[in-house]
Amino acid sequence: MRVLLVGMNHRTAPVELRERFAVSDPAPLLGKLVGAGEIDEAVLLSTCNRVEVVALTRRLEAARLRLHGFFARELAGDAPLPPGRRLGDLLYEHLDGEAMRHVFRVASSIDSMVVGEPQILRQVKDAYRAALECEACGVVLSRLFQCAFAAAKRVRSETRIAERPVSVARVAVDLAERIFESFADKAALLVGAGEMIEAALEALRGEGLAAVRVANRTEAHARELAARFDASAHGLAELPELLARSDMVLSCIGGDAPLLGADAFREALRERRGRPIFVIDLGVPRNVDPAVNDLDDVYLYDLDDLADAAAANADERRRETVRAEAIVLEEQQRFDGWMSALEAVPTIRHLRARAEAVRRRELERAVPRLGLDEGQRQGVEALTRAIVNKLLHAPLSRLREGADREEGLAHLEAARALFALDDPAAPGAEADAEHQAQGEPGSREPGRREEPGEE
Amino acid sequence: MFVELHQVAAALYLAAGLVAGVGLELPAPRLVRGGVALLAAGALVHGLAFFALHAAVSPPPLTDLPAAVSLTAWIAVVFFLTLLRRARLAGLVVLLGPLAFVGAFYAALRLPHSEHAPFVGSASWPHAHVLLGSAGLALFGLAGLAGLFFLMVNRSLKRKHRAGASRALPLPSLEALDRVNAVAFAAGFPLLTLGLVTGFLWVEHQSGRLWTGTAHETWTAVAWAIYAALAVLRFARHQRGREAAVASLAGFAFLLFAVVGVGLLA
Repeated sequence: MRVLLVGMNHRTAPVELRERFAVSDPAPLLGKLVGAGEIDEAVLLSTCNRVEVVALTRRLEAARLRLHGFFARELAGDAPLPPGRRLGDLLYEHLDGEAMRHVFRVASSIDSMVVGEPQILRQVKDAYRAALECEACGVVLSRLFQCAFAAAKRVRSETRIAERPVSVARVAVDLAERIFESFADKAALLVGAGEMIEAALEALRGEGLAAVRVANRTEAHARELAARFDASAHGLAELPELLARSDMVLSCIGGDAPLLGADAFREALRERRGRPIFVIDLGVPRNVDPAVNDLDDVYLYDLDDLADAAAANADERRRETVRAEAIVLEEQQRFDGWMSALEAVPTIRHLRARAEAVRRRELERAVPRLGLDEGQRQGVEALTRAIVNKLLHAPLSRLREGADREEGLAHLEAARALFALDDPAAPGAEADAEHQAQGEPGSREPGRREEPGEE
Repeated sequence: MFVELHQVAAALYLAAGLVAGVGLELPAPRLVRGGVALLAAGALVHGLAFFALHAAVSPPPLTDLPAAVSLTAWIAVVFFLTLLRRARLAGLVVLLGPLAFVGAFYAALRLPHSEHAPFVGSASWPHAHVLLGSAGLALFGLAGLAGLFFLMVNRSLKRKHRAGASRALPLPSLEALDRVNAVAFAAGFPLLTLGLVTGFLWVEHQSGRLWTGTAHETWTAVAWAIYAALAVLRFARHQRGREAAVASLAGFAFLLFAVVGVGLLA
């Protein structure tokens, strides 16, 4: 059994290419993938930053060809790639341990564009659930994803990878929380407009901001923006009065000279009886005179201040990835152990089948000669079964216990040689056909379902 | 028994401050919450210590400095724990824990050696004076601590220190600290006033005069006058923020000197 991962992400493909490969409903595609025979299990993850397929296969080369073809035909569609671009250059491939580690890193948000971002875990869980629902995910990939979720949970709780905000908007909210206990009775004043200022306002509203007022040079623009934020619209002439009624001021308006000076804030503070004002100035050139920050009870942050804090936090998150990688490695080793134990299962089953076949054949020979009645026959049956079980107990236990250790492979080879499991002429070999018909463990078992988060 | 209980309470208070401090430094909110739990455990044991003191010595020698200091520390901790439910104040444990430790530890060291003079007549006035005065001192202490913390957070925000700007610390907000300052001040001032009045009545009961002119009386009366002025600024003139924080810190330093320092110097 091999685990193969093929995909593209923000490092290998620009967004205009990634969006062509994005998948909204993976179920039909997964059905095709696992139905063709090269791939036993598959999970398809498609987010704005990556499109990846994790596959379990017994036919590695066939699976590799199938997955590349899958990206080229099913995902890319008919439109050709831009000149000079080859699909092979956009795709990366990971095998076995590397593939498993990649899944763990993705779920833990170590591989994300913004390290520590929380959405990826939900997206991976959604992808896993979709694969389960269309029966493309079996025992092995289920286990792999469960371990990846456990690793992600540990990374979030044991490291500070997601603790510090890395967007300007979140930094602004973080700062506001250092000043105000609650936003439920706070009002914000928006001066001008801009993508970043709107993101900051959205984030503040998400925390329960009570009221928003919008002021702009052209009142029509103010009204347009106010309608979007369920706010009131004002002209710039009303600014002095609005300042006194606002706990937060978010400013991003064009102009060569600062629009708001220390005097305006001094007056506002007097009317506010010293209640603090948090000012976010995202204008370039700046809209608020930097001297305003010298006033007691006014906290002024410009774009550079917020961007510096966001960058510092991003650095801190990157430093935390060292600890996160250690957790991923630990969880991956746990999964490796489980996989190794799985390798021992065919030998264990084979050995059991051989022993059972020998027991049954010898019993069938002996019972007519002994002239046993039904009760006695059942007694002998139970006796022989107990003897076989007792004899096999120690070797089977050793095989199971040693599976995830170095000597595991040697034990497996020794068992196969000592019990002549590969010799078709050995006693009990007639059971081999039946054993093989049962199939190897780790193959897809559609009836078996594990929900995300289930241990 | 009350000495041992004081020792345990002191250890818990110190542990609370240390654990919360480590929690703020890492930062690890769970450790800060652990600090709060240790502080609450310390308050429980500290309360039991007063029961034990009451059982051992009746009436308890609250007028002795060690017992009064211990009582002040305990009231401050209990009042803080009741405020915790209303605002994100857990970070304050980093300052309150060590201060409460000093109060409880001082009592553990000095209480066995206290030789309290028998009360003249009823013990009601002395006890009322110490209880009310300690409660007032405790609340002004809490207001001062909130003021100190306010100044620290304010400084970090004003300086836009990188860590101060965006660390996910479970620090109290400026608004919460200002509110604690105001609430503790508003509750502390009447208690201190009543403490002063009952003190004068105690003196009158003992000596037949309301004012005997001791250093303790004089300095405490001055401290009360300062607090009265601060109360006017705070509640009539709406003083708040940094100014209120500085005022409460300076006021408490003076009150501490008037109530404890003058006695020690004498």
